[in-house]
Amino acid sequence: MEKHSIVESVLDNLPVAVFAKDATDSFRFVLWNKKQEEVTTLRAGKAIGKNDYDLFSQESADYFRSVDKAVIQRGSLMKVPEEIIETKNGREVHLRTVKIPVHDEETGRLLVVGISEDITEQVKSREQLERLNRHLVQANEELQRTQLQLIQAEKLESIGRLAAGVAHEVKNPLALLLLGVDYLSQGIDPGDPNVATILTQMRDAVDRADRIVRGLVDFSSQRALTREATQLDRVVDEVLLLVKHELTRSNVKVSVRIEKDLPIVFLDMSKFEQVLINLIINAVHAMSGAESKQLKIRARAETLEGVVRNEGARTRELFRSGDRVVVLEILDNGTGIAPADAGRLFDPFFTTKPTGLGTGLGLSVARRIVELHGGLLILENRGKEPGAVARLLLPTKIETGKVRTVAQPGKIDEPSKKVDTKTKKLAP
Amino acid sequence: MARKILLVDDEAGFTELLKMNLERAGGYEVRIENDSTKALAAVRSFMPDAILLDVVMPGMDGGDVQAQLQANPLLARIPIVMLTALVDSTELSEGAVAQAGSQMVLPKPVNLPLLLRVLDDILPAETAA
Repeated sequence: MEKHSIVESVLDNLPVAVFAKDATDSFRFVLWNKKQEEVTTLRAGKAIGKNDYDLFSQESADYFRSVDKAVIQRGSLMKVPEEIIETKNGREVHLRTVKIPVHDEETGRLLVVGISEDITEQVKSREQLERLNRHLVQANEELQRTQLQLIQAEKLESIGRLAAGVAHEVKNPLALLLLGVDYLSQGIDPGDPNVATILTQMRDAVDRADRIVRGLVDFSSQRALTREATQLDRVVDEVLLLVKHELTRSNVKVSVRIEKDLPIVFLDMSKFEQVLINLIINAVHAMSGAESKQLKIRARAETLEGVVRNEGARTRELFRSGDRVVVLEILDNGTGIAPADAGRLFDPFFTTKPTGLGTGLGLSVARRIVELHGGLLILENRGKEPGAVARLLLPTKIETGKVRTVAQPGKIDEPSKKVDTKTKKLAP
Repeated sequence: MARKILLVDDEAGFTELLKMNLERAGGYEVRIENDSTKALAAVRSFMPDAILLDVVMPGMDGGDVQAQLQANPLLARIPIVMLTALVDSTELSEGAVAQAGSQMVLPKPVNLPLLLRVLDDILPAETAA
């Protein structure tokens, strides 16, 4: 019949596999188009008149039958997002299938019509993407580990630089203690007014030495990044204690102005101290030729409006207009940043210091630490006044867990069922 | 007559206790100057027999103070004992100690009997006047 051959011709030229089973006759196949032959590697002649149990493994046939029955029972279309058929030659074919119940009024038969799309290539690409993504995640974790090691290495270097100064700061209270012991060991006269003073001074000296040593130990600790709610002024105090000797020795006057009631920031104390020590020591070096060396540390809260100059793109990545941030500035009156160096300041191993005075890792590590805090480090010249400013922008909110984006399978309205469709029951 | 000692050190607690110890040892009149920038004025007004001078101080360090004293013929003859908590001998030479020709450098914590011996050595005895 003309109409019949047109339909057959259309079906055989469709890029999707089409089949139909007669639910009123043991779900025997009544339709099996060209693409279905290709996908299953079964000729229509072998399949028509057979059912799933004749063609596929028991397990697969059970599954197909259960879906077919559900389609009939529901009387509506059902989607099978992914099923796998293993062909005669052992190839796995991934299919996305839609099953539709069809009532043939002419014959009164109830059919289950299936349309399957071969998604093998898509699945393979997706799997490859997932594999690549896993590798990327691994590489990223590896990179983070390496970065933490680098941060620690740079920290050990700063400890080396600070050690002599810290020892000096500890020796002063020790000197005081020894003088106290010298005095008291010559006998204590109950009426001697000096005794009370000496004991108070000795107690203060012990506290002072203890604070310095504890500060250094905390600073040296090697841990993964652990951020805690922190008052910024506390960090600044601790850091100034550790660099006091460098500042005094270099004759640097320090003024600290930290706004009252500054919002809490979320810092890894030890790593953040590393940043500040680095920036302060840099500032001290930059001022080595200056007549009167002045280091200013300023901190204030700000609501961001628009973008910060010079760093538009980076700022836009990290902050939004209206974000509340804490701005910490370290200002020096040194030589400032030479235009030729401006673009290279954060490059690893870039240094303007003589050999032996710096590895050139300090600023690149400092910036990385600040970024790990969700913040921004900007270095620029002060403009009207001589010298440079290191400006830190820190978020006052801790970012909620970022959602890691991975390749996701398409939308599914039924759980994916993978079918191990063995072809051993091929024989009729 | 008591021997006059000027203590120049920014560590107030340290100078206070050193003063107590020297005065208890006897024979010393001690004055303290915790601000090194005022050291020269203190030397001029007090005219000490010896100066105990810290190295690392804010404002002016011990080396600067010593250089100023050396530049003044009247004050250059006053013996100076440098006291330092520095641990690194290279830092000490940076402090211009060597150039300024200080007679003695004593490390902190200060060995008090040693300091008293040094002072005895460099100062004319109390009685010998």
